[in-house]
Amino acid sequence: MTREMSHAGSAPHVVIVGGGGTGGAVAHDLVLRGLRVTLVERGELTSGTTGRHHGLLHSGARYAVKDRESAVECIEENRILRRIAPDSFELNDGLFVAITAEDEAYEPLFFESCLASDIPARRVTREEALRLEPNLNPELRCAVQVPDGTMDAMRLPLRFFATAKRNGATIRPFTEAVAMTIVQGPSGRCVTGVSVQDHTSGRRYDIGADLVVNAAGPWGEKIARMADVDVPIQPSPGILVAVRGRFCNMVVNRLHDSGDGDIVLPQRELSVIGTSSWVTDDPDHLAVPADHVEMMFREGSAMIPAIRSAQTRATWSAARPLIGERGASSGRELSRTFKCFDHAAEEGVEGFVTISGGKATTLRAMAEATADVVCKKLGIESPCRTREYPLLPHTAYYA
Amino acid sequence: MDHHNDTHATEGTGRPIRFRVFRYKQGDRAPYFDEFTLEVAEETTVLDALTSIRNRLDPTLILRSSCFHASCGTCGMRVNDREVMACVTKVIDLKSSVVKVEPIANQALVADLVTDMVDFYAKFNAIGLALVRDSDWLPDAAEPAGIDSYNRFENCIECGLCLSACPIVASDPRYLGPAALAAAWRAVEEPRELDPEAVLRLTDDPQGSWRCHVAFECSEACPSNVDPAGKIMLLRRRQAAERLRSIFGGRHG
Amino acid sequence: MSEQSVERTAVERGAEGASTRRRGVIGWVDPRGRRLGGWAFILNRLTGLGILLYLSFHLVVLSLLARGPSAWDGFVSVAMSPVFLFFDVVLIFGLLAHGLNGIRVTLVGFGLVVDRQKAMFAALMVLGAIALIIAAIRIFEVG
Repeated sequence: MTREMSHAGSAPHVVIVGGGGTGGAVAHDLVLRGLRVTLVERGELTSGTTGRHHGLLHSGARYAVKDRESAVECIEENRILRRIAPDSFELNDGLFVAITAEDEAYEPLFFESCLASDIPARRVTREEALRLEPNLNPELRCAVQVPDGTMDAMRLPLRFFATAKRNGATIRPFTEAVAMTIVQGPSGRCVTGVSVQDHTSGRRYDIGADLVVNAAGPWGEKIARMADVDVPIQPSPGILVAVRGRFCNMVVNRLHDSGDGDIVLPQRELSVIGTSSWVTDDPDHLAVPADHVEMMFREGSAMIPAIRSAQTRATWSAARPLIGERGASSGRELSRTFKCFDHAAEEGVEGFVTISGGKATTLRAMAEATADVVCKKLGIESPCRTREYPLLPHTAYYA
Repeated sequence: MDHHNDTHATEGTGRPIRFRVFRYKQGDRAPYFDEFTLEVAEETTVLDALTSIRNRLDPTLILRSSCFHASCGTCGMRVNDREVMACVTKVIDLKSSVVKVEPIANQALVADLVTDMVDFYAKFNAIGLALVRDSDWLPDAAEPAGIDSYNRFENCIECGLCLSACPIVASDPRYLGPAALAAAWRAVEEPRELDPEAVLRLTDDPQGSWRCHVAFECSEACPSNVDPAGKIMLLRRRQAAERLRSIFGGRHG
Repeated sequence: MSEQSVERTAVERGAEGASTRRRGVIGWVDPRGRRLGGWAFILNRLTGLGILLYLSFHLVVLSLLARGPSAWDGFVSVAMSPVFLFFDVVLIFGLLAHGLNGIRVTLVGFGLVVDRQKAMFAALMVLGAIALIIAAIRIFEVG
């Protein structure tokens, strides 16, 4: 069976598997380019990795020294998100704080790398840092101010879903992809649809698709296997700890090479410390190891001593969907940028692409790259509009 | 990496707990309860248990969750007849070997533990919800260059626990409800883009702040320090004062 | 192009088919999961109904006056019985509970004393308990 036009002039239908931030942003982008979109997600929207992330609107400074590509991506998306989604962020900037002599020695390289990545950075003396954030460790030596912010991890992506839905996308949470419909044709294999189980009713049904986008994050490999393809996604969990009390208004980072527990940020009346890194094969069973919890308190209180005696509100883990080969030992050596895999090119399976990697701050850019690939494959010429298109408030999703 | 001491483990800890979970699928005649037995650790939350049940025992169970630290407001449930956020409710703290889990009350039911928050947001949107406020913490802190004043998200996480606990919402679908009224008071206290007078006109209504019967269950249930009941009373005080002013002030006008 | 074979599922924004789990009037009296303010609410509802019932009964009884002395005397002898006196105490409990809690609801309901409303409730109930005991003693002394 070949793919025939059954409705002349009817826009192609793309099915997105995965209702995290990436899936939502892809739905938003494709709908604006005139495609028909159905998104399926097995749980609540953002119930995978997206909802659980730290909540940092990256300035990119963290990657400025070692991962220039990521840093530049971040600051660009930081600016775009502030423009298209105002009121979804606590915009109080961030501080990179030098505690030890080693940190202080790292500062010049860090500062220059920020400027080289187009990240606005400002040197802050010890005295000024303590005026800005009275709870900082008084032994700090100096600091650098950067345009970090705090985002609501669930509500920001929900704005993409709300806008996509208002513009005609079909969003189906609690609908689990259980199989791909694959057709063997003269030119090779082709994915022509997704078989889903609707958990609100127990019904199973098929959704026809001209193309399927696998945006399932750390479950991306599981979905890819349904299409008979392989994709190198390494689930890489990290732990987060929320304590009661808003100990800082700015995002507080440790001024050193990326490490564990070196970010503390405020969320409403909580302070959240993160994160760590290990690798796993099963994104459904994420441990919350006691030694990592202790490490968060240790590292967090090195920057803000009051954290040590703060009351724990919650401890949890989230799995980054990093791109890389199996065998990485901690996950930190894998790149934090993203990649869109066209499985026709690599494995001869048409009608299926996978987007993975990345971070919460770059969801829109990931979607743009994916939508470019999708449109190219479907022969659609339509430019991306998401850089400027203002998003609806998240409450519009429920209207 | 091998992890010892998974603080949220749901097996191998020797502490079995019986979970009675509310089940309903579209098309069912009536809801029922399914029973699952899991072991829990010190820090295992109700959400951990339910997620584990979903992953290991019954993949058809659906529930709302996202942030795992009571910031997104999606995992509100009635656990042993109390409104809680499942992600920060430790099973051990319930002090019971049987844990009954039901969806929040007074909202449309989709299936299992999932409610449709359409009504909740309709009431919210009737008032208008500002998401960001002045940060009232660390009042002596200076602002950094380029920032006029520190801001932060409003306390309300839109979880609906207050509406589930309110006895008036239970019986009257027209009542604006504690969440929307609390948001209304915040709009009066810190107007931002909203018009406080317009908001007060909406709340000064038999189905607005006056419909409350002072049970305070909403403030007890709130996981995020909103104190809706307190805010409803502040609305009423303000509304009463304005009435008196217009009655007596008018004479001297 | 593919055919769009997505079927509309039974759930349409929670409106058609999905039931709203509103607890209903049971929510007024269900004590499970209640805190202090919720108990006060239940108490007010039940005593309010109770007082209403009592008032109706009272009017019926008063109508006996129209039937002359013997009908009234018959009622008075019943009214002096221990069971009836017990119900008198129950009535006083209802009046005190409803009235004193009513003071709290009125004050708090206009935004006064909101911060200490739990303490006020406790204090008023203690006052009420004392008044009830005194009243009970006086009632049974007379009887």
